[in-house]
Amino acid sequence: MSRDDDAYTFDERLPINPIQAGSTVFVSGEGFSSATDLARSMVVDSTAEEEGSLFISTNQTCGKLLDNCRRTRPGLDASRMGIIDCTGQDIGQAELAAQVRYVSTQSDLTGIGMKFSALYESLYASAEGGRVRTGLLSLSSLCMYVDLRKLFRFAQTLSGRIDSAGGLGVMLIDPTTHETQTINTLSQVADGKIEVREHDGDGAEYDGELRVRGLRDQPDGWVPFSL
Amino acid sequence: MSHRVVCVDSNDEALEATVEHLQSELGGFDAGFETAGTVAAAEELLTAETDAVVTEYSLPDGTGIELIAAARERCPDAGCILYTDTDPETIDTTELDGSITEYVGKGSLFGQERLAKLLRTTIESSTQRSYPLPQNEAERLANLEAYDLDDEELMASLNRTTELAAAHFDVPRASVNIIGEHSQDFLACYGGAENWDSMDREESICTFTILESDNVMAIEDVTKDPRFESRSESLVGMGIRAYMGANLVTDSGLVIGSLCIYDESPRPFSPADEAFLRTLAELAMDFIEMHTRARTTGETEGDR
Repeated sequence: MSRDDDAYTFDERLPINPIQAGSTVFVSGEGFSSATDLARSMVVDSTAEEEGSLFISTNQTCGKLLDNCRRTRPGLDASRMGIIDCTGQDIGQAELAAQVRYVSTQSDLTGIGMKFSALYESLYASAEGGRVRTGLLSLSSLCMYVDLRKLFRFAQTLSGRIDSAGGLGVMLIDPTTHETQTINTLSQVADGKIEVREHDGDGAEYDGELRVRGLRDQPDGWVPFSL
Repeated sequence: MSHRVVCVDSNDEALEATVEHLQSELGGFDAGFETAGTVAAAEELLTAETDAVVTEYSLPDGTGIELIAAARERCPDAGCILYTDTDPETIDTTELDGSITEYVGKGSLFGQERLAKLLRTTIESSTQRSYPLPQNEAERLANLEAYDLDDEELMASLNRTTELAAAHFDVPRASVNIIGEHSQDFLACYGGAENWDSMDREESICTFTILESDNVMAIEDVTKDPRFESRSESLVGMGIRAYMGANLVTDSGLVIGSLCIYDESPRPFSPADEAFLRTLAELAMDFIEMHTRARTTGETEGDR
């Protein structure tokens, strides 16, 4: 099988061509709103039914995140979904169908990383062909708790695991909250970047515009999208 | 280049099985395995050249986490993987203070297969390093090996270059630094820099300079730069508050190190400053190229 046959595909609402397995991409947008929605959607709005999805959620509790996922994908089967909830609000497994692990503080990157690894292994075993999409929402939030060296190592370890398992990684970053050196350093972790901005012009039906950088066979320039 | 992997498990049979499996799964991947059954014995095996540590969590004289903490000191660039049945929910990670370690469940369905793949990626892509590598790192290191840098005459020329740099910028310290696989070595120094020892690459500023596409990097104040602020106290202690480095670019276009100047107070650098240091770095590289060429020619003639 060629690598392109393994590529991760997206719902037709997203103007993004398939992305090669093993890749990690940054979704970058100011103030997050539509960038967050896009990043989340890239993880759950798959055209393939049997893939697993795994989130590291820094600001939204697992319940809120799951609700948001169901907004764009109403019939979502959460049984192949994992969430590392780093918000500090442990509500237990409750009635959520997803597998949830809690980390009490965002500064505990070791804890987040190990729980991520363990949950990834379990999803890898249950998802068809070991296909798992990972969403880190958001990298910028972690940056407020740890220094750049630790964050770089964390992001790169994650992207290495995704690469070795043939997964897809989506990491959300708000470029306006970081210095250029931070963005340049962290960007080395990603294979490409999807920039998101507000939709400019007519068409209230659009949620924003995106532009893909650094990935093969993607649309040129800014393209509007709606979720 | 052979990769050094330290495997640790107190159960001899399990340890043997893990190593055998990794050897067969990794096939053509050139890896040498060293084994230990305790934290103490494993620590003895750690060197700056260790590429990866694969360890059980529960060990007779401590935990895998303690061993990984020691590895972070001894070989900060190495990749660490806990390969264990212990539930990650029960593992106290605070001792690692945010350092990352990978986790693979021994009993998990794809445990052994995943361990081999993960170990390979961890080593090949250096995923647990705390700083980015140039895209042509392997080529860069191979190129670096081709240079003969251990010579008094060459040192004298490079020392004069650092003196010239320090005088021009009116700073107390300057140096020519070589960036090796895991460390930064000071090849030639001026002023207070003469007392500096080689340092881990993750501690060095120049490891970022060698990534610069325009081959020069200026930092007005290290305490305000997100890449260095967390260790700015030790930098300032060395007399490094402001920094400018220009790359030593070989004839093949690869970067082996930088010529740097250091000031004790914050200061801005102009494009003209950057251009001047870049020219001096070219001069330093010319010395290195000429010396290596002369040495190679001499050896060839000596063989005749």
